[in-house]
Amino acid sequence: MSEPVVSVRGVDLSFSGVKALQGVDFDVFDNELFAVIGPNGAGKTSIFNVLSGVYRPQQGTVDFAGTDIRGMRPHKIANLGMARTFQNIELFENLDVVDNLMLGRHAHLGYGWPSAVAWLGKAKRAEVANRRRVEEIIDFLEIEGYRQLPVGMLPYGIQKRIELGRALAMEPKLLLLDEPVAGMNGEETEDMARFILDIRNELHIPMILVEHDMGLVMDLADRVMAMDFGKPVATGTPHEVQSHPDVIRAYLGPVDDATLAEVQGELA
Amino acid sequence: MTATATNSLPLRIRNRAEEMPDRIAMREKNYGLWEETTWADYWDRSTLVGHALLALGVEVGDRVAVHSENRREWLWSDVGITAVRAATVGLYPTNPAPEVLHVLRDSGACVLIAEDQEQVDKYLEIAGDLPDLRTVVYIDPRGIHGRYDDPRLMPWDEFLALGEQHRTDHPGAVTERLEAVQPDDLATLVYTSGTTGPPKGAMLSISNIEFVIDTLQSGGAFVDPPASDRDLVVSYLPLCHVAERVFTTWFNAAVGSQVNFAESIETVQQALREVQPTLLFGVPRIWEKIAAGVHIRMSGASWFKRKNFDFWMKRAAWIGRTLVENQGNHTAATKAVYAIGWVCLYRPLRERLGLGKVRYAASGAAPIAPEVLEFFMGIGIPMHEVYGMTENSAIATANMAGRVKVGTVGEPQVGAEIRIDDETGEILTRHAGTFAGYWNNPEATAKTIDSDGWLHTGDVGEWVDGTHIKITDRIKDIIITAGGKNISPSEIENSLKASPYIKEAIVIGDRRKYLTALVGIELDTVGNWAQERKLGFTTYRDLSEKPEVIALVQSIVDETNRKFASVETIKRFAMLPKELDHEEGELTATQKIKRSAINERFADAIEGLYSDTDRAAHEVKA
Repeated sequence: MSEPVVSVRGVDLSFSGVKALQGVDFDVFDNELFAVIGPNGAGKTSIFNVLSGVYRPQQGTVDFAGTDIRGMRPHKIANLGMARTFQNIELFENLDVVDNLMLGRHAHLGYGWPSAVAWLGKAKRAEVANRRRVEEIIDFLEIEGYRQLPVGMLPYGIQKRIELGRALAMEPKLLLLDEPVAGMNGEETEDMARFILDIRNELHIPMILVEHDMGLVMDLADRVMAMDFGKPVATGTPHEVQSHPDVIRAYLGPVDDATLAEVQGELA
Repeated sequence: MTATATNSLPLRIRNRAEEMPDRIAMREKNYGLWEETTWADYWDRSTLVGHALLALGVEVGDRVAVHSENRREWLWSDVGITAVRAATVGLYPTNPAPEVLHVLRDSGACVLIAEDQEQVDKYLEIAGDLPDLRTVVYIDPRGIHGRYDDPRLMPWDEFLALGEQHRTDHPGAVTERLEAVQPDDLATLVYTSGTTGPPKGAMLSISNIEFVIDTLQSGGAFVDPPASDRDLVVSYLPLCHVAERVFTTWFNAAVGSQVNFAESIETVQQALREVQPTLLFGVPRIWEKIAAGVHIRMSGASWFKRKNFDFWMKRAAWIGRTLVENQGNHTAATKAVYAIGWVCLYRPLRERLGLGKVRYAASGAAPIAPEVLEFFMGIGIPMHEVYGMTENSAIATANMAGRVKVGTVGEPQVGAEIRIDDETGEILTRHAGTFAGYWNNPEATAKTIDSDGWLHTGDVGEWVDGTHIKITDRIKDIIITAGGKNISPSEIENSLKASPYIKEAIVIGDRRKYLTALVGIELDTVGNWAQERKLGFTTYRDLSEKPEVIALVQSIVDETNRKFASVETIKRFAMLPKELDHEEGELTATQKIKRSAINERFADAIEGLYSDTDRAAHEVKA
């Protein structure tokens, strides 16, 4: 296998004695869809916050694009090429769709404020190129009909799509998706699943996905890491992880062997 | 130009490419920009398709299917296919796999041009049952390229490259086919959606289409002054339907009007606003939806805007009524009032709807309620109801400018003979556009075209003032009550559907004691209505069953009942628990109701309407 895009080794994170993450190890490779699952409070979102620089872990290393990013400021990490979406939508509600996506192009502006003020050739050309890229994303996510509308008045499922669009506008080397289908209806979930697959197959961007919807994870992910109480309990293909006894216990609580066998039988 | 036996659609496009190579034939919005295609490009792309088809071994008379939303490639394919004397078979983008299978098998298509992954997926579901199909070309590679390995799949680029190669090797091959065209050549198979039985392929020949083009060119027959290359059209209804083929492809070839394609079906409204077309054709459902949308949008507007809107819409209603009484002509009074209203409301409203420059609007393909026509006439849109069907190449009657009679489908088109059968009341048409018959179905053809060449339309109608035709209903839909009275359900249904709150209405009563109806609400408007009244709801069904909503429907039914004779009134009604759907077989691809499917699917609800105990049925107070 090729070099991993991101490599996490022995990460511990605690908040005044509460251990949020303990001994987390994983790699994500090129073109891979890697999912993190686990019950509430298992530490899934903490992993995202460590990766994107919101939290600084006490122990361990986080390698991304050949740099140790542990403790690096979030905007520096973003400039290295890591983009994320949020569980709760974090968009600029009063800006329209195009402007929200253009903000995602910030790292690719390629000109400073003096040339922006003067609106000289370079700034103008860069703006046109960036706008073109944004249009490609609009086309990719099929949100042509919403271009000029303020994001705040759009339906939830569409806002989720726009947030994904803003992350894509950064042309990331790694994309973190925090519960992309939470709160969506069946049709919206199906659409989102299709977009996630297309991102992998057409844009070839590796992704880490945190998701509660097990069906979605099992259908989409190449590899899955299951977490419980801040510790990884199993990592492997969806099928391997799904029938792993510790994973079943993490979701169902302590179960006897007979129940375990029955659940495994159901899942097989 | 070399002399040929007949003119044809591809020859006309070649002519335009020679005479006005740099003029814009069509535009398509991509990545937020309107991309232009000149006549020279149009012809170049079409010939490339033609060469590619020759390279794939397509013979004279072969069928090539196109399964796509409206886009430039549809036209390039259509013209390319006809140029090599093969026939185009259009599929509705909404056709589910079993219907796609029926059309592809029945037509024996040897090449399928599919738009994208969605349509290719349908093909893959049925790939094993299509022995005649050799190649499936896909236009948009997203999600397909490198993931599907069906041997028949070929990307659009490769298809055109094949054409390029063939053109280099055999430069005159397409021209040779093109110029050997015969008037009787099969140009296209149009599958009629068929509210009963599976769709049948109506054969339209080169000369059928030439007749339509002559009608479009001969001024006054449709548009007055005649359509020209200054006219703009937005193409948005399915191109496999004969009506959109008329307004998109044939108008464009006949007079050089410019065709505009929206980015997707969801952005049509926006495209209308940006293009501001001059000619616009819509089916009743579209016009109803636009009218309903105006009311929804206004309900959220500021107090002043609402008052202004209400005031001027009252005037518009009066203008509309007066125009209806005057065959579409203004009186001095309506003209004056309209002029002031134009500044205050009508102009901004029309521009907002994308109807600011429309000089000719038409409704057809299904009956429309007079109230809807009146609404549009009131705000200054010259609306015309027209009538035609696939089998007569969409040419029969039309309301002409200044001679509009609302409630009729207009006067016979120039060159069209129209007759009403003395015994059955059926409308018969005869002209050069009468189709060549149903594909592989001489029996059905014999039932439709009689020995004198009259086409039996299946519609019952009557003359109004000796000049206009009024359609009562489809022959097979006429209800004969248990009391022996003939009733036309569509008139009652349309009166109900004229309300912005009602999307579907199905009147029942054949061999029954009295009439009843199944009613489906319009989710957008009723949802909005409920929100204004702080009524919470979850699903379509939940909303439909709210007592307040039932009372709303009740009031609409009462109002309709007042317009009809006592035997024609609806005694009870029930709410449809779901939106009717093409994929579930309740509607045809053109959104027409399949009565047999409805009768079967909602049999319990219907029986309830005729039993004394059912509580889901709602009595209508006389």
